[in-house]
Amino acid sequence: MDVFFQQLINGLSLGGIYALIALGYTMVYGIIELINFAHGDVYTLGTFFSLAILTLLGVDSVVHGPALIGVLAVTILGAMILCGLTGVIIERLAYRRLRNAPKLAPLITAIGMSFILENLMLYWRGPSPVPFPQVIPNPQFALGAVTIQAKQIIVVLLAVVLMVVLQTFVYNTRLGKAMRATAQDKDAAQLMGIDINTTIALTFLIGSALAGAAGFVSGMYYGSTWFFNGFGAGLKAFTAAVLGGIGNLAGAMLGGFLIGLIEAMTTQFISDQWSNVVVFSVLVLVLIFRPSGLLGESLPNKV
Amino acid sequence: MRLIAPLTARLPPALRTPRAGTALAFAAALALPFIGRNGAFTNFLADAGAFVLLALGLNIVVGFAGLLDLGYAAFFAIGSYSYAMLASPQFGIHLPFWVLLFVASAIAAIFGILLGAPTLRLRGDYLAIVTLGFGEIVPQTFLNLSQWTGGPNGIGSLDQPVLFGYRFGFNPLPYYLMVLGLIALAAWLANNLRTSRLGRAWMAIREDELAAAHMGINTTSTKLAAFAMGASFSGLAGCALASKLQLVSPDQFMFNVSVFVLAMLVLGGMGNIPGVIVGSLILSALERFILPQTTNFMHNVGLNVDLTNSRFLIYGVILVTMMLFRPEGLIPSRQRNAELHAGQADRRAAAAEGELLTEVIH
Amino acid sequence: MRLSSFSRGVLAAVLAAAVAGCSSSGTSSGAASSGASSGTIKIGIDLPLSGADASIGIPTENGALLAIEQAGRNGFAGGAFKLEPSVLDDAVQGKHDPAAGAQNVQTFISDPAVLAMVGPFNSNVAKSEIPLTNDAGLAQISPSNTNDGLTIGDAAKKLRTAHPDVNTYFRVCTRDSKQGSALAQVAYQRLGFKKVFVIDDNETYGKGLADVFDASFRGLGGTVLGHEHITSNQVDFKSLLTKVKSLNPDAVFFGGNTSTGGGLIRRQMGDVGLAQTPFLGGDGISDAEFEKQAGDAANGSYMTVASPDVTKIPAAKSFINAYQARFKSNVGPYSASAYTAAKIEIAAIEKAIKDNGGKMPTRADVLKNIASTTNFDSPIGKVGFDANGDTTSPVLTLLHVVNGKPQVVDVIQLKS
Repeated sequence: MDVFFQQLINGLSLGGIYALIALGYTMVYGIIELINFAHGDVYTLGTFFSLAILTLLGVDSVVHGPALIGVLAVTILGAMILCGLTGVIIERLAYRRLRNAPKLAPLITAIGMSFILENLMLYWRGPSPVPFPQVIPNPQFALGAVTIQAKQIIVVLLAVVLMVVLQTFVYNTRLGKAMRATAQDKDAAQLMGIDINTTIALTFLIGSALAGAAGFVSGMYYGSTWFFNGFGAGLKAFTAAVLGGIGNLAGAMLGGFLIGLIEAMTTQFISDQWSNVVVFSVLVLVLIFRPSGLLGESLPNKV
Repeated sequence: MRLIAPLTARLPPALRTPRAGTALAFAAALALPFIGRNGAFTNFLADAGAFVLLALGLNIVVGFAGLLDLGYAAFFAIGSYSYAMLASPQFGIHLPFWVLLFVASAIAAIFGILLGAPTLRLRGDYLAIVTLGFGEIVPQTFLNLSQWTGGPNGIGSLDQPVLFGYRFGFNPLPYYLMVLGLIALAAWLANNLRTSRLGRAWMAIREDELAAAHMGINTTSTKLAAFAMGASFSGLAGCALASKLQLVSPDQFMFNVSVFVLAMLVLGGMGNIPGVIVGSLILSALERFILPQTTNFMHNVGLNVDLTNSRFLIYGVILVTMMLFRPEGLIPSRQRNAELHAGQADRRAAAAEGELLTEVIH
Repeated sequence: MRLSSFSRGVLAAVLAAAVAGCSSSGTSSGAASSGASSGTIKIGIDLPLSGADASIGIPTENGALLAIEQAGRNGFAGGAFKLEPSVLDDAVQGKHDPAAGAQNVQTFISDPAVLAMVGPFNSNVAKSEIPLTNDAGLAQISPSNTNDGLTIGDAAKKLRTAHPDVNTYFRVCTRDSKQGSALAQVAYQRLGFKKVFVIDDNETYGKGLADVFDASFRGLGGTVLGHEHITSNQVDFKSLLTKVKSLNPDAVFFGGNTSTGGGLIRRQMGDVGLAQTPFLGGDGISDAEFEKQAGDAANGSYMTVASPDVTKIPAAKSFINAYQARFKSNVGPYSASAYTAAKIEIAAIEKAIKDNGGKMPTRADVLKNIASTTNFDSPIGKVGFDANGDTTSPVLTLLHVVNGKPQVVDVIQLKS
């Protein structure tokens, strides 16, 4: 039984990372109905950017004391800004022209973009996993027979906090309203005076920034990063977004945690080698039986 | 193609018909290994030919019916493993190669229906993701069920084809000729399908599924037929490659193979049979010859650039550039060109080619 | 009447292929024909050199290249012939691919200058290559294949159907069955582990080694608490390791390479609180990359290398120095093996030239010399081949990581 709770913690931490990535997927899909294949690789870029910043700051292990807050702030913000910019650039270069093209075109372009990013990162740091500094002192807390690490708490906390911030932004600000309007009906939004180009760029900025945050957190959590990280994580995060209800922010969060839990529990109670199969089967089943997801509304088929 | 027109204009009229052109091309393809006279080149041709089969199959699903399948490698795996399980010491079954061509195609077609069925109600991008999911599930399952599939070792010592007592052996030439025959068969089939009622139904679904349904097309059976026919070609390719390599292993069927075949369609011209063949050959040549040779050349010249490590980059750039600037591919079909450049196509030329039906619908 | 798009396209395709064909027949230029007294001789090298496999493939390639370069500098065959490597990559999209390996071997076979080859790296690629080299009579030495079925048993016979009485395949490393059972003995008897958890990377080498270890360990009386396979590209092992921790093993055995997860698993063992539990693996984790990726958790790991204590063989020391000077990086776990394989082939070719009166030998001559290799001095000890192509008198060195560096703990003689 203790193992179950321990795996629960593992699953929630893993899920937190998926949730952060899923938020970006769901936002972009909600607004332009594009599955941004390259999003998983933006997440990996987040780890690479974080690593670069940390190296610049001279951090190669744990940072103690008040300097830690400074380091964290600079690194996380830096990664978020850089990733956000990357997302905006990708949208501008590759997706904007294809906004009215048949769905095949932007999807294939996104796959191509993903390949390009992966290869660039391969050039940057090579084909092997790269060690990532610890940064945070990692005390462990015992809760009965279960150990929780500070890192795990931070992952989950960051995911929830960022989602709340995002939710507030989307529902309580003008820019957020513009995003929701564009997501609902692009043409009508334009008629209402909303600059959809800027709104879409903003969506990519925020979504990619979240992926950047996920990147930092993941690097710190695993102690290493790798150019090919994004492929699997991206696919599972997309599964999470679909599970929760595509276009729904809380759904992306819920989906992320659920997928993390499913992975952890499958590994524990079945075996590691089937965990991917189970997760992807979840994807298939959700898309067949409840494509709107857990928290999504049933979208009518537009004629 | 504006380059070839002036050349072909010089040929005598008898040779300018489509049939003569195809025969010429076929004869040239037959002669290739004897011109090259290089075992490695013939081997490359045989392998590339199998991928042409895969491209033709995916073309039916993506090109004709417009169903974006991102997990085609799953069918390739099924076709290959079908051959491996029925022509090797694994279970002691040794069906003849020519029988297995039918059997593996049939098995692949059945799985085409099974894996296509869940996608019937889904829109384009969701369908893509589900097929991607299957593309991950299938090879992992083959890997995990090691008792039946040999796990990471795969299944080896597969039978080589035997034709009237002649065993194919290790020379790639007979395999190439066999693959050429299969390509001819597959291209002929695909072309006939394209101009048949089913083919037109596919095109109708591709352009506007709802309208097609209202015109009386049974979208379910039409889509399943696309998956089944497309998957069956992978059965042919699977037999060809498995019998030549005498081995199947799960890491031959990963996601990058699905993208590789898709890139062939994107590059060559989705929905257009000759375009697909050309796209397939170009990418195979890139993969097996151009990239390694260029890397070798650069090493000899002293530049320490490893182009083989840039495969992903090159394919990515191809996909992005093609989609941005020439989504209809290098050798487009007129119809696809029209679809993708709505309003820019030469409608008169399209009508002259006999696609009046599409004109009427629009 | 224009050609239909159908035939236009096919014609274009055929033209493209013909161009490719002409460019490929250029590989045979400059080659010496049999019986000539000068020209170029090549040693083919087929290894995975791109993508994720590159991290282990390239150091291996470098080992072979070093041997060829040294031979050139030291006056190969009295200067009459020029010795060159012909390097081909069998990794497609970053992963070793049997079809690419077969294609590469076909390229070597078609090139009359190639008299022997080094490779492949992976056992499943070897399965597609051995029938071809057997058919063509081209000798190949692998630095790293460990799958039993490549040299012994029914499976091996089925790979040699073209010429059942001829063996063209050799390897300088130990088979799974020997290394796995030796590791089990080390674990149970020497290190005293009674219950272990086995993890492997579900690839031919890793799973092969782990399966043998599993069976041997149980055969000795030990308990295998569980045997799990990780998925390729997996980066999160915490759930798996939590499961392992709950079973309280004396040690964790890993079948696989650093590049398929060895280092990451060890690092995450530290994260879940298993840092004090020893980690045991084969030569797949014997590279410096393992310590780098495992980080602080590297200590307490054991690994075996299929060669004698390199610090006690002078040839090993000079090899490592020469390698580091030439390539400015650390040797990989199989660099010395590839170096040895290439050296054996070079020696065989030189002898064949001499026996042929200074003229270009045939592949059969070279094959004969390779097959009769015994007591060949190399950085991995004295190497010889038995009738099956396996290495004779194999030896295993046990290493233990202390303070971030592996120390030699023991040398184990494996029974033939």
